[in-house]
Amino acid sequence: MKFHRTIDDWTLFGSIFDKIGRQFLSTMFGKQLLLFFRTLHSVVSEGRNVHADLRNIIRQIYFTVVEVFPVLFVVAVLTGTVTIVEAMTVMPRVGFSDAFGGLMVVVLVREIGPILTAFLVSGRSGSALTTMIGTMAINSEVDALSTMGVNPIRYLVMPALFGGVISMLLANILFSVCGICGGFGLAKLLVLMSGETLNLNLSWHYLSKSILLSLTATDFVMMILKPVAFGIIIFINACYHGLNIRRDIRQVPKATSRSVVYSFLYVIVIDVLFSLFYIFDYANQMSRII
Amino acid sequence: MDLSQGEALRIENLHFRYAGDDEDVLDGLDLVLGRGETLCIAGASGRGKSLLLRLIAGLDKPASGAFYYFGEHLPLSQHNALEVARRGAELIFQNGALISNLTVRENISMPLYYHHRGTDDEIEHRVNMALDLMRVRDEENKYPHMLSSGLAKRVAIARAWAMDPRLLLMDEPTAGLDNYNRNSLLPLIDNMQALFKTSMILVTHDLLIARELGADLCFLENKRLTQRMKFEEWLTVDLPIAHEMFRNLRDFQLKSTIS
Repeated sequence: MKFHRTIDDWTLFGSIFDKIGRQFLSTMFGKQLLLFFRTLHSVVSEGRNVHADLRNIIRQIYFTVVEVFPVLFVVAVLTGTVTIVEAMTVMPRVGFSDAFGGLMVVVLVREIGPILTAFLVSGRSGSALTTMIGTMAINSEVDALSTMGVNPIRYLVMPALFGGVISMLLANILFSVCGICGGFGLAKLLVLMSGETLNLNLSWHYLSKSILLSLTATDFVMMILKPVAFGIIIFINACYHGLNIRRDIRQVPKATSRSVVYSFLYVIVIDVLFSLFYIFDYANQMSRII
Repeated sequence: MDLSQGEALRIENLHFRYAGDDEDVLDGLDLVLGRGETLCIAGASGRGKSLLLRLIAGLDKPASGAFYYFGEHLPLSQHNALEVARRGAELIFQNGALISNLTVRENISMPLYYHHRGTDDEIEHRVNMALDLMRVRDEENKYPHMLSSGLAKRVAIARAWAMDPRLLLMDEPTAGLDNYNRNSLLPLIDNMQALFKTSMILVTHDLLIARELGADLCFLENKRLTQRMKFEEWLTVDLPIAHEMFRNLRDFQLKSTIS
């Protein structure tokens, strides 16, 4: 029996890992991962214009957060209203009145809020980014950047990624705030309009207190980690699909729809992975109690 | 003496094949361009002229071959557009390829700022020079979609000139231009070459460019470049490619002589 690996054994292992690595990097996800690391590397590579980079990042934030705010506000308020009304009417019937704040946190802060924000951002900014970069690729503008010695990843992808991630963080916070405050306001209005039909015991003091009591440290960490992860995957995916369009204008709409569909898929998959943290967190708390 | 020191570009035994094709588009192509020289490459459509420019600019990767830029060998493993640009080569695309969300002035200044080509004042001064040289000063605040194709080409040349390239590659500089725009563009290119001794390769269907710029002319035929001659010499030689390419021009000249 051999206890020491020879050079040949290592070579065999090396070649297996090499093949697996190459196979992975030839897949779409592998290429997107590569694009992400190239984008990070472009921050420190030569050829930069901080002024133009900042301007492009601010443009991206303006396009993704400011211009999308009216739609985001309406979606957040309506989601908040539905959650509050449903929670206030259904939960007392099943004997879970005390879990009201917990439900609001789960729906608006933890799950539906970040996912709906990600869908909105992906459907608007992600698709627009794929179309813009794809059209630039068709018009040889991306090639022109390279021939001028300007790294297209640095010029196009980096501001989109950083602006996109900051936008996702801001949009997520705005969604939660608008969902809770706006949802409370609209639910209160509905109660007032309905007279005694909707007899909900709803006060801002009760709502805010129950939500604050339900928030855990993990929620605050996830409020940052989730939008960052969603932002990275949405904007890298959008840029990847735009950059891979080659000399055919008919590819632009196809790439745009592919980009949105894959963004939705990635967001859901990442959300499931994040849910595992909550399971571990819950198990950890249980073990401490026991 | 190392002859390569006087060369702007040398390509040896270049092979290129599109993915999925079973035949080379370029098969053993060789090219030498001296510093400050201008070469016009013509030929029938679809023979790979624009592809050759893209290969020189590093936008496409050849199957094999050797590239020397200004006497320096660039291995194929490092052969990409950013590396080629670093060696002073610049490609002007057929459509100008101006960045659509930047104004004319920003299009010219953007790469200069990225490469830190001087202080802000120096860069703005150079941009003004480029705008004046190509006579597009009045259009500096316009966006590319507001420009005619002739103006877009001038801006593209101004942008390339501002970068002070040592080797300028132009893809169909006069394509789609009316006579007025064409005739006003060529002296600008000629002046630029005379003033700054930029080495140039022009891919064109407009054979008269070679005469007007006093440049050498060769053809891409049978996947390689033919011999180089002046325009007037091509009219006198008895070669099949010369007969094919100059047929219309000879008829035109004959008619002009008769009239």
